[in-house]
Amino acid sequence: MDDVRMVERVVDTDARDIKFQCKDVQVFYGEKHAIKDVSVDLLDKTVTAFIGPSGCGKSTFLRCLNRMNDTIGIARVQGRMLLDGEDIYDRRVDPVQLRARVGMVFQKPNPFPKSIYDNVAYGPRIHGLARNRAELDEIVEKALRGAALWNEVKDRLGETGTGLSGGQQQRLCIARAVATAPEVLLMDEPCSALDPIATAQVEELIDELRATFSVVIVTHSMQQAARVSQKTAFFHLGNLVEYGDTDDIFTRPRDPRTESYISGRIG
Amino acid sequence: MSPFWITIAILALAALGYLLGRSRSVRLAGGDTRALHSRPTYHGWHVALFTALPALVLLALARLLQAPGWLAPAALALGVAGLAVALSRTAPQFRARNVVEQVVRGILIVCSLIAIATTVAIVLSLVFESLRFFRMYPWQDFFFGTEWTPSFGGGSELGMLPLLWGTLYISLIALLVAVPVGLYAAIYMSEYATPRVRSVVKPAIEVLAGIPTIVYGLFALVTVGPLLRDWIAQPLGLGSSGSSVMTAGLVMGMMLIPFVSSLSDDIINAVPQSLRDGSLAMGSTHSETIRQVVLPAALPGIVGAVLLAASRAIGETMIVVLGAGAMARISPNPFEAMTTITVKIVGQLTGDNDFASPETLVAFALGLTLFVMTLGLNVLALYIVRKYREQYE
Repeated sequence: MDDVRMVERVVDTDARDIKFQCKDVQVFYGEKHAIKDVSVDLLDKTVTAFIGPSGCGKSTFLRCLNRMNDTIGIARVQGRMLLDGEDIYDRRVDPVQLRARVGMVFQKPNPFPKSIYDNVAYGPRIHGLARNRAELDEIVEKALRGAALWNEVKDRLGETGTGLSGGQQQRLCIARAVATAPEVLLMDEPCSALDPIATAQVEELIDELRATFSVVIVTHSMQQAARVSQKTAFFHLGNLVEYGDTDDIFTRPRDPRTESYISGRIG
Repeated sequence: MSPFWITIAILALAALGYLLGRSRSVRLAGGDTRALHSRPTYHGWHVALFTALPALVLLALARLLQAPGWLAPAALALGVAGLAVALSRTAPQFRARNVVEQVVRGILIVCSLIAIATTVAIVLSLVFESLRFFRMYPWQDFFFGTEWTPSFGGGSELGMLPLLWGTLYISLIALLVAVPVGLYAAIYMSEYATPRVRSVVKPAIEVLAGIPTIVYGLFALVTVGPLLRDWIAQPLGLGSSGSSVMTAGLVMGMMLIPFVSSLSDDIINAVPQSLRDGSLAMGSTHSETIRQVVLPAALPGIVGAVLLAASRAIGETMIVVLGAGAMARISPNPFEAMTTITVKIVGQLTGDNDFASPETLVAFALGLTLFVMTLGLNVLALYIVRKYREQYE
């Protein structure tokens, strides 16, 4: 039974388009060589998980995909990262516009100290996605539904986002990211601050988001990677050790380092 | 023996007590300090505190109450007695550490009580003197009178409205200068400046806070006042006075800039980086992030900072004396000389005073008014700042 599903998935992902094409990417933090020669193709409408021990560079690599590393003065990126064939580190690309296309959800829920409505409407307002209040209402509702939060908050959209529970806050942050209508959604350990129930809700949500976006998730939990992703990349000491279908990585890893990590011997 | 030498003697005795207590505890433990409940240092401090504290308190009381001379030597005797008692209590199982810590806690409590007691004493003295004033002069005329013409011969008009007007007018101008400049400086320092620039600019701005206000007053008198008169007031036909509300307000605003910028800078820095990241990650620019996320999050704290600056402005005296003059009047023209409550308090209390006349006592009523105003502002500011703190902790 499991084998049948696995085969389906493989065929499934092969048919997808490449969203992000990364070639020989190097990242330096000052003197430290944080990412070494990473080449990877991330697929559209697919959940890709980055796993690896702490400090292996997976978060760093994720933050390159929307140029959040630019906000850290000492970070330098070399190599090519193509989003739909266009180099995002090209001089003509405005990182601000890039980030509207590549949204991000952080490890710790970080709702703005504004109302729930204003949190979700923040991106659409900045980017002028709605022509009037009715359209904005519609976008907010759609985003909150998309983040499986609408039913819980629809009667209190005016209350502050920081008053929600941890899991609700994280879903609010996902709704906020979704409302900007990005093409790619990056998630940096989105469940590490959540309890198991909230984690399950968010994971379910990630699976639904796959229909619309390309999702890249960094996670410490191998179970989570196995549950939500179709593709998995294993990072170790700044190298991309192995990248492939999630089922392959977890059942028959090719590299001994991957094998020892998923069996719990390193990391 | 004079009290000074007695104090020295008591302190020397305490030092001796420290050494005795320490060595006695070691001896009682048979040289093995691990057998002691408290380390020898605590036994030493225990003896020293019991020697010095009661004796010094007695000495202070004797001075305060002007008790007969024999109390001073008695204090020394009390010190010796304390030393003996404490030494005799020293034993391996004696909990000297706990005793010393309790005494220290007591000292801390007394110190904070002194601060509170001072405030209470100040308020009481203001209230009683003000009550005396209001028995001689109707309160309606004081609070709602628009004439301020004190004359010690009698028949003075002591309406505080002209003074209140001057105070508020000057403070308003000062805040109009200090708040935008200070806030923008804070935004630059906390959001845009590189650490190296910040490490130079921030202390440089804070130097302003270290300048005595009388020096600002000189600056107003010698530089700003004539400049405003010659270049703005006279050409526009608004007046020919070197002292003006505008002069005092501008200079006071400069004085308040470091206040506003330093506090706002701390508050903006306290806004979690995760909020900035969240906003940037959604494709907003740095300045959109500042305007729409960072500043709204920091707003309560910034309001608190502004209110604290306002209460500084209201209580300021020297800049006003030298910058705005001493004319009590109500006028909308910012280039005319006016004066404030604080200046008039000084004015009423300098020279030969008759503390039974309303012209002198009015100073206390003015002081009380001022105190209530700044207290209100401070309480409001603290309330707002505290509410803000709850948001992130």
